[in-house]
Amino acid sequence: MDFYFGLLQIFGVHTLLGLSAYVVLLTGQVSMAQAGFYAIGAYTAGAGTAMFGIHILPAIIVAGLVTAVIACIVGFPALRVKGLMLVVATLAFGEMVRLFFFNLTWQVDRGGELVGPNGAEGFRSIRYFPEHGWEVWHVTAFIWAVVIVVMVALWWVDRTRAGAVLRAVGHDETAAQSIGLNLTAVKVGAMTAGGFIAGLGGGIYAHTVTHIEHGVFGVLLATFAIAYPILGGLGSVFGTVIAVLFIQGFLIEGLRFLGDWRSLLFGALIVLAMNLRPTGLLGEHAPRWFRRRKTGSEPLELKEAN
Amino acid sequence: MLTLENLSKLFGGVRAVDDVSLTIREGEIFGLIGPNGSGKSTTINLITGLYTPTTGKVTLDGHDLTAMAQHERTSMGVARTFQNIRLFGNLTVAQNLWVAQNGHEQRRAHFLARWFKAGGEHGPDIEELLRFSQLHSKRDLQANALSFGEMRRLEMARALASNPRVLLLDEPAAGASQEDAQLLAERIRAVRDRGVTVLLIEHMMELVMGITDRIAVLNFGRKIAEGSPAEVQMNEDVRAAYLGGSHKNEELVHA
Amino acid sequence: MDYFFIIDFVQSLADGLLFGTTYALIGIGFTLIFGVMRKLNLAYGAAALAGTYVGLGLFLTFNAPPFVVFLASAIGAGLIGLVVYYCCFRFTPEAHPMASLLASVGMLLFLEEMMTHVSHGMPHPYPSVLSGATLELGDIWIRGDLLFVFGICVVAMALLFWLLYRTPLGLATRAVSQQPRAAQLCGIDSARVNALTFVIAGVLGGTAGAMTAAAVGILSPIIATGLTVKGLIVVVIGGLGSIPGAIIGGLLVGAAENIFLLLRGVTERDIYVMLLLFLFLTLRPGGLFGSAATRD
Repeated sequence: MDFYFGLLQIFGVHTLLGLSAYVVLLTGQVSMAQAGFYAIGAYTAGAGTAMFGIHILPAIIVAGLVTAVIACIVGFPALRVKGLMLVVATLAFGEMVRLFFFNLTWQVDRGGELVGPNGAEGFRSIRYFPEHGWEVWHVTAFIWAVVIVVMVALWWVDRTRAGAVLRAVGHDETAAQSIGLNLTAVKVGAMTAGGFIAGLGGGIYAHTVTHIEHGVFGVLLATFAIAYPILGGLGSVFGTVIAVLFIQGFLIEGLRFLGDWRSLLFGALIVLAMNLRPTGLLGEHAPRWFRRRKTGSEPLELKEAN
Repeated sequence: MLTLENLSKLFGGVRAVDDVSLTIREGEIFGLIGPNGSGKSTTINLITGLYTPTTGKVTLDGHDLTAMAQHERTSMGVARTFQNIRLFGNLTVAQNLWVAQNGHEQRRAHFLARWFKAGGEHGPDIEELLRFSQLHSKRDLQANALSFGEMRRLEMARALASNPRVLLLDEPAAGASQEDAQLLAERIRAVRDRGVTVLLIEHMMELVMGITDRIAVLNFGRKIAEGSPAEVQMNEDVRAAYLGGSHKNEELVHA
Repeated sequence: MDYFFIIDFVQSLADGLLFGTTYALIGIGFTLIFGVMRKLNLAYGAAALAGTYVGLGLFLTFNAPPFVVFLASAIGAGLIGLVVYYCCFRFTPEAHPMASLLASVGMLLFLEEMMTHVSHGMPHPYPSVLSGATLELGDIWIRGDLLFVFGICVVAMALLFWLLYRTPLGLATRAVSQQPRAAQLCGIDSARVNALTFVIAGVLGGTAGAMTAAAVGILSPIIATGLTVKGLIVVVIGGLGSIPGAIIGGLLVGAAENIFLLLRGVTERDIYVMLLLFLFLTLRPGGLFGSAATRD
């Protein structure tokens, strides 16, 4: 049973990671910095509970906010470039963050034990959950509560003008500028929101594994972050969830019986999926049953003069 | 109201726009014509801020727009359409208008209400614009599912969504039939009657001669004539420019 | 600034510049592909390394001489490049650039796993040439194997220039990269040019992979990420689509890396390389030789 709870926890944190990239991808930007943001969130939240003994909820919110601020600061220079340049700039930022934590040693004495990031050793004993007697299903429920809050928030944003503006910028930057949208503000806003979500996700991740180290937050994780929303389709937040279930559930856990070969199949299936469904598993548009109902739809318009 | 003062734009060594000065008066339909490559589109791009001028300035009601970013110009009251239609094909018709609500008045609305209120695509302004452009029955369609003519109408409606003071139309009749051009002319007049000044760039002479109050003619980036349609048609330089450059002279004479 | 420091500094610089030619080759490969397709092939570094493993296979099974191993690496990478093209780029629609991007990510994971599988995740020895020899210039020692790496990379670049500027194929490639639509109207089969570009880029990548392995003396699947990241950095520094830019970018990255290694040690080295890159990108987004047009 614990195995399935563990799996659900992995789904949860990866959904957050994917959603953080989803927001940025809506504006048409491919950010490889999400793993870096995730790392910042993980270390910040870990420091909050393990080193300073604060409650998990404020810890992850602080982690989210810190990450959002950093994402905003990085976004200003980085989002002046786009396309391949942005991929590389954000990749460089992500690696910079990872290597920063690789070199960071900052430990405090808590109850006769040194805790805190310790360079290449990583950050051990982020044991908030076991220390406070949380059962595995408590943890799982907590994670999914956060995931659902984030999903509902993003789903709401998608129905507002902000969501339409993000998609407009993603579709045609020149046209978006011509109708008076401030591209930098929109993109940096998306990056900041993405940073917040990645920070939350990272913060939770640190507590589920209790030991984090820089190697986890590399290029591979950044790639996964963008892979979820693209594979799932940018139509709605549900695409990202489906992709997480597909990759983490089906490809990684479901094919476990294939042993080593499963990883091979994993890459091949992504290649195949993108050839068959280039707009993602759920496509570009929100699934019909989630789309807005026409409110008070008028009787068919007066004859159009055309 | 909209003035260009000694505006020039160099691309490398080429003077795409060369020392052009224009004054467009409030409430008129002003035509900007010229042979291909004479700098008409560049002029529009200089007014909207897609390009920065090499020298000269653009002012709207005495406010200098030259140093402003594109989005600031929109809130000052400048809106445009594109020669090759640029809609947000991934949004619905109504959403296309919704995202364009960036005018001065609209910017004063509360931040949260402006960005994070759902259902704003059903606002009264949008309904009115949808009716005005006869797109009401298509309001929930994806913009890329529209017909060519509908796309043109939607693009103009989108430009109007920011409550502009001046609307720049970049060849709105390109690819349109004669009848379509008739309807377009009516539509442009209707836009003017809403209190929006129109700057029209166009190849189709009949359209331009029929509806504009005044016309300026560009050739090789320089303004060679300005005046009423009748005056411009009589102008020797204009005739030479068109006779020398293309077959358009026929249209010019007959219109 | 004592004498020994200056010697160390010059030594690092020289080693970095020599090794930087492998980065330059990878950078050129990325630039070529981006030039003709306007798309990013993230599987490129992995494909290059997979080719190197083909060479390694020959070395381990037939004990083939180094030159055969190198040649097989280059050709193997070229063929794998072709496979990448057909799997990730040929059939994904033009209108959805994300599709080919993610397909190339899938390919990257596939190739990496394949290499890990074949090599059992262990590093293997890779043949090198002139590894015993050194060239002494005063107090500065130039390693023979690095000099050889440098030589091969320069030859590969020379061949590429000959191909691009002296052959009809090169003309077609340049035409497609400058005006794809016009090139097509002139009767150039752009799909064929794209495929060939992937092969050429693959051969360059394979050469770079082989030379990297020859310089280090071992081959390990973890090199793939490094190749990809360094290659992207080089392209960006040099300016998209600029081959001379990629060469200079490669040398710069090689030199900067070694100098930061000397100044700050191995664990902090890459932070500074990345910081430099980030600043470079945001302050001079067009790269050294690119136009500033990529900036919106």
